[in-house]
Amino acid sequence: MRYYLGKIGLFLLTLWAAITVNFLLPRMMPGSPADAAIAKLSQNGPVTPEMRASIEAQLGVPTGNPFQQYIQYLNDVVHLNFGISYSNFPQSVSSLVSTALPWTLVLVGTVTILSFIIGTMLGAAMAWKRGSLVDATGSVSSSFFSAFPPFWLALLLLFFLGYVAKAFPTSGAYAATSVPNLSWSFLVDALYHSILPGLTILITSLGSWVMGMRNNMINTLGDDYVTFAEANGLHQRTVMLRYAARNALLPNLTSFGLVLGGVVGGSLLVEQVFSYPGIGMLLFQAVTNQDYPLMQALFLMITVSVLVANFIVDILYGVLDPRTRR
Amino acid sequence: MNTKHLAVRAVAALAAATMAIGLAACGSTDAQSGAGGSSSTEILFGGDNGSPTFTKNFNPFSSSKRTGINFIYEPLMVVNSIDGTEKPFLATSHKIVNPKTVEYTIRSGVKWSDGQAFSADDVVYTFNLLKTNSALDTLGVWQHIASISASGDTVTFNLKDNDVPAVKIIDQQLIVPQHIWKSVKDPVKDTNATPVGTGPYKLGTYTPNQYTLTKNASYWQAGKVAATSIVFPASNKALDMVNKGYDWGYMYMNDVQKTWVGADKQHNHYWFPPGGTVSLFPNLTKTPYNNVNFRLGLSNAIDRAAIAKDAEEGYVDASTQTGLLLPNQKSWVNSSIPNSGVVKQSKTTALKYFAKAGYTEKGGKLVDSTGKQLTLTVTVPSGYSDWLRGIETLQTQLSAIGISVKLNQPQPAAYTQALNNGDYDLIVASFGGTGDVYTDYSNLLNGEFYQPVGTAASANFERYKNSTTDSLLAQLKATSSTTEQKEIVNQLQEVVYNQVPVVGMFYGGLWGLYSTKKFTGWPTEKNPYASPSTWTSQVLMVVTNLKKA
Repeated sequence: MRYYLGKIGLFLLTLWAAITVNFLLPRMMPGSPADAAIAKLSQNGPVTPEMRASIEAQLGVPTGNPFQQYIQYLNDVVHLNFGISYSNFPQSVSSLVSTALPWTLVLVGTVTILSFIIGTMLGAAMAWKRGSLVDATGSVSSSFFSAFPPFWLALLLLFFLGYVAKAFPTSGAYAATSVPNLSWSFLVDALYHSILPGLTILITSLGSWVMGMRNNMINTLGDDYVTFAEANGLHQRTVMLRYAARNALLPNLTSFGLVLGGVVGGSLLVEQVFSYPGIGMLLFQAVTNQDYPLMQALFLMITVSVLVANFIVDILYGVLDPRTRR
Repeated sequence: MNTKHLAVRAVAALAAATMAIGLAACGSTDAQSGAGGSSSTEILFGGDNGSPTFTKNFNPFSSSKRTGINFIYEPLMVVNSIDGTEKPFLATSHKIVNPKTVEYTIRSGVKWSDGQAFSADDVVYTFNLLKTNSALDTLGVWQHIASISASGDTVTFNLKDNDVPAVKIIDQQLIVPQHIWKSVKDPVKDTNATPVGTGPYKLGTYTPNQYTLTKNASYWQAGKVAATSIVFPASNKALDMVNKGYDWGYMYMNDVQKTWVGADKQHNHYWFPPGGTVSLFPNLTKTPYNNVNFRLGLSNAIDRAAIAKDAEEGYVDASTQTGLLLPNQKSWVNSSIPNSGVVKQSKTTALKYFAKAGYTEKGGKLVDSTGKQLTLTVTVPSGYSDWLRGIETLQTQLSAIGISVKLNQPQPAAYTQALNNGDYDLIVASFGGTGDVYTDYSNLLNGEFYQPVGTAASANFERYKNSTTDSLLAQLKATSSTTEQKEIVNQLQEVVYNQVPVVGMFYGGLWGLYSTKKFTGWPTEKNPYASPSTWTSQVLMVVTNLKKA
């Protein structure tokens, strides 16, 4: 029980710290939201003094001293009120986030889980057959593909499969003329659009799971209890899964928790390349436009989910590995 | 053993399933790839970028509006930002009664797209709406207008001062219908989901990835509108523009001749006229930048043509040092200034001026009286790769005469802040291109905009102050006589040429791309009736000038 109470206390403390840092960080960036809007406009043509005045009036500037702003901010966070986006004025931050979130959750979430499952299984199998041809090819290709920068692979896939072969759509999450809905044809279309970005994330993330699992497993395979289990004449599969893999899984599970928590942050570069309307794209847009309300909501969401995922992993650890409970 | 096989089988099955879905989807949704469709009376327009999808905002006064509103709402007159000429739209003419009063005659027989009649009352209503909601006043019309009144189809504007240039600002105000906007609760935050305007197009279908404008059949000059619809995709990557056959777009493309023209040699064209003068703004409140000889030295030390070529791949020319955009404003050129004001690089002249400013050459380095090498810090926004390329060339040129140049590259927002607050030594910025010669010079030189360093200025960023220049500007503002205007502009050119408040380098281009496959009659170098910009009312001139190919 003390183990769980301690974990909860630590969780709450980090949560408060994260919320506070989230308040401070955007305010330490140079330039104001109006400066960012003007910088963007001036790329298209001259920005007259009148346009500046009007933009500043439309966006408004945060009022009150920093302490009052902080109290106001805490109050808003508790009520999940993140205000109006500067860069998409007058849309509310909540509406922007809720439109982008499902795309990221489904795409990056599914692919991350898939990648973890496939990678772990492959890693375990490779360790079991270590030294074999499967292991050798697997190891080499894992390190090869995990060294690929995701955006570069994304560009390659986009160019060759999208533009040259014309087999896949080149941008967006669904066809240009459709409106998101839950019809069968829309879902198929959305799935079709998600193949290239999904494939990019899968290929570049798979390697680390494979290698992580393989190396952990090779360590556990050398342990006495595995030899003991084998000597007892247990079924090969039981030894591999119940004895070796279960213990080798623990470190991988920790990183899985972290990665899963980070899923809500989207995959910035991949989303950028494919113009995928997810959180990564929204975050990029928020940062480049000095959109404080949007940035705060996104950073908060990302931090909180990483914290929650960590917390869950901590709790799960207690279940999976009785030693940590003490 | 078994598990390994299981794993392998699972992966194989997954891969097969993915491919199957991919192939199935290929067949079913192929139609979407031709976002432009094949109908020849449709314009595929690459001038509104979603991020990455559109947010539905058709409020014509909003800073994050869809650019499609420029096809839906019309101003009194459209001003061609290339040469400043005005073309009547909702007004048939205007008369400058005296430098403080201007009268517009409002067009009769115009209808809003919902069928209601348009009248002078809508014009007065719109201007008053901006007065009560200053956040909507993006053109700043109420900084010029004292009062407005209507009688019949005449609307009279009384101006605060003798202010002839105000006319071109009033011209450009988009007019909205009183019968709709009077019941809008908060016009600043309203997103105007079903826009009703007088313009040639109405909002057709709208999805977050693409929207379509369809022709307004009751448009007052419907006979001149050839395209029945305009398609606005949210994603307009360079590869898409080339591959999907866009008809009209705005984009800086690397090696445009090969990428854009090469994709369809017969139809794809581009026109890149100057849209502003990219210059080196010296901080005139600091030494040595406040020394005119120092600035003249800088101006003579650089090879503008080489900088222009490296920055923009030769699409634009070296700029004049008179503040004019050429050839756009060629009718204003002061013929007594040699070579139209384009300064040729001359090391000897540069060194002569630098010597006057107290810098002499010593061992290949330009040093001050204490023997320290002259070191300049140039601020250029990060991510503006073309400007950066130009500045790198400038760096090489200046180091050739012994000046060391350091670069400071802040984020765009921080750059804008540095520019506004005067927090720099030398900064790269663009000026001019509004289409009005007074506004261009006033934003560059007017002491009215002067702010001390540390306080944000909204124009005159180099912090120039000269009472003679201010009085020239005041005279230009008050006169409607072309001869007088010409005479004053001649003097203003001499001011910029001789005093070098900023060192002009090259023209920032307007990157217009168009295809003559479906339509002809686009604005070109030979027929510059509108600028190739895609986000201003000038698109109205384009769509009423296009003919089916």
